[in-house]
Amino acid sequence: MGAFIYGVILQWKLDLRNKGILVTYYLVPLLFFLFIGTIFTSINPLAKDTLIQSMTIFAITMGAFLGTPIPLVELYSGDIKKAYKVGGIPIWVGVVNNYISAFVHLMITSLIIFLVAPLVFDARLPDKPLPYFGYLSIFLITCISIGVVLGLYIKSISKLTMFSQMLFLPSMMLSGIMFPTDMLPKVLENVGFLLPATWGLRILTSSEPKILWFLPLLLFFLVAIILGACKLSRIAMD
Amino acid sequence: MDIAIEVNNLVKNYGNVTVLHGISFSVRKGEIFALLGANGAGKTTTLECIEGIRRHNEGTIALHGKIGVQLQSSSLMENITALEAYRLFSKWNRAPVHKGILENFGILEFKNKQYRTLSTGQKRRLHLAIALINNPDIIILDEPTAGLDVEGRVSLHREIRKLKEAGKTILLASHDMAEVETLCDRIGILKEGNLAFIGTANELTGSYLGESKIYIRTRNPFPELKLRYSSPGNLEKDYFTVTTTEISDALLELLTLLKEMDNDLLDIKIERSTLEERLIEIAKEGN
Repeated sequence: MGAFIYGVILQWKLDLRNKGILVTYYLVPLLFFLFIGTIFTSINPLAKDTLIQSMTIFAITMGAFLGTPIPLVELYSGDIKKAYKVGGIPIWVGVVNNYISAFVHLMITSLIIFLVAPLVFDARLPDKPLPYFGYLSIFLITCISIGVVLGLYIKSISKLTMFSQMLFLPSMMLSGIMFPTDMLPKVLENVGFLLPATWGLRILTSSEPKILWFLPLLLFFLVAIILGACKLSRIAMD
Repeated sequence: MDIAIEVNNLVKNYGNVTVLHGISFSVRKGEIFALLGANGAGKTTTLECIEGIRRHNEGTIALHGKIGVQLQSSSLMENITALEAYRLFSKWNRAPVHKGILENFGILEFKNKQYRTLSTGQKRRLHLAIALINNPDIIILDEPTAGLDVEGRVSLHREIRKLKEAGKTILLASHDMAEVETLCDRIGILKEGNLAFIGTANELTGSYLGESKIYIRTRNPFPELKLRYSSPGNLEKDYFTVTTTEISDALLELLTLLKEMDNDLLDIKIERSTLEERLIEIAKEGN
């Protein structure tokens, strides 16, 4: 247990030393939050009602899709996994450490947005903060799982950037973060339903989300876990 | 004789290509055994099968003791420090942080440097220290000095000798003939996935059937003579030089002649096949 906890704390520290991760977990999401917060709340006062939720969804999607896979690509596509194998470290450790570390980092970013938005932009707090953080955790776990799958399957950072953007950009444009989805053409609105961010925003902005809205997130999570487990077992047997 | 590693009829296929064709060898406890061979001969594959990071298709591998491994191409997270890496592996192996190992390998000098900023030599030392964390009986080193400068090489050789003195069994793969000649008790030569030779370096060079050169410097000039066991001699920089394939007989003949002529021997040198030449010869055999 000591080794596992040391590994998690170490991974958290390593993430803080990694510029790519710092940019995607903290720098860009928080700058974007300040930028969008300033503009949107000035041109549309109603934006204050959903500013916390939309910027949190943005931060988590960006961090999980663009940041979380980076250390995994490094670990599982190169020679580090061999060093782990011969050095007595189980192969799953890299994934679990990254998972927990990413969760903590992105929860911190979400908390910063949650605390700063009402003070700086007079943003409206969620009606029920405790369930809000419960739903947020579900969304966060789903997105990190997808990020882990990207990190396990993609073998280079350049390819990772391409594939991650293919998920991240539609999440930005089609989920309702930037503008209401009913303004989109029907086809694109339907495509938006295939993205976790759409369901995340719907759940976080509702005071009483329907159980059915959680099913897509559960499905994304299960598929990601199965794909991740398959890949890990292949890496272990390689 | 106690055996530390036993490899029997090891076969490894990559898809349809067989890279190891049933090789067998054993490494005795406390000896340094080197696997030599050209690129693609199967050295790293053999080691990786023994290490357990690659599954073999046929044959058996028996390891009589704990193993520690330093890989040929190994890496760690770029921004982990040397000490953090050592601690991480120590914790997973439930071993204490051996200050002695850290001192011996000079890791304390760069303990807070991140992995990406370490020199090749420092990385090798760190990986070797990590390989020793669980106090292994058998240490497997894949090209341990590749990419090191002379100083780094000498320093690592010193550490490897210390490990042997401590009773460790060492199996290494190398391209460096000097390293193999000075460090190893026995060598195995792999050629296209087959074991072409196994024995000591002296046995290998001694089994050379090619020519050797004898250089003799005498007080009085050596007369031109017809010799039975060597080529007619010629003068090369004050040395009477003959070429022979029967080194013992040729030497005896020359020394007898010297005595008969009452000539004084000032210097004698024998140039035999080096390990490198022998390896090249083995590589050519059968081609």
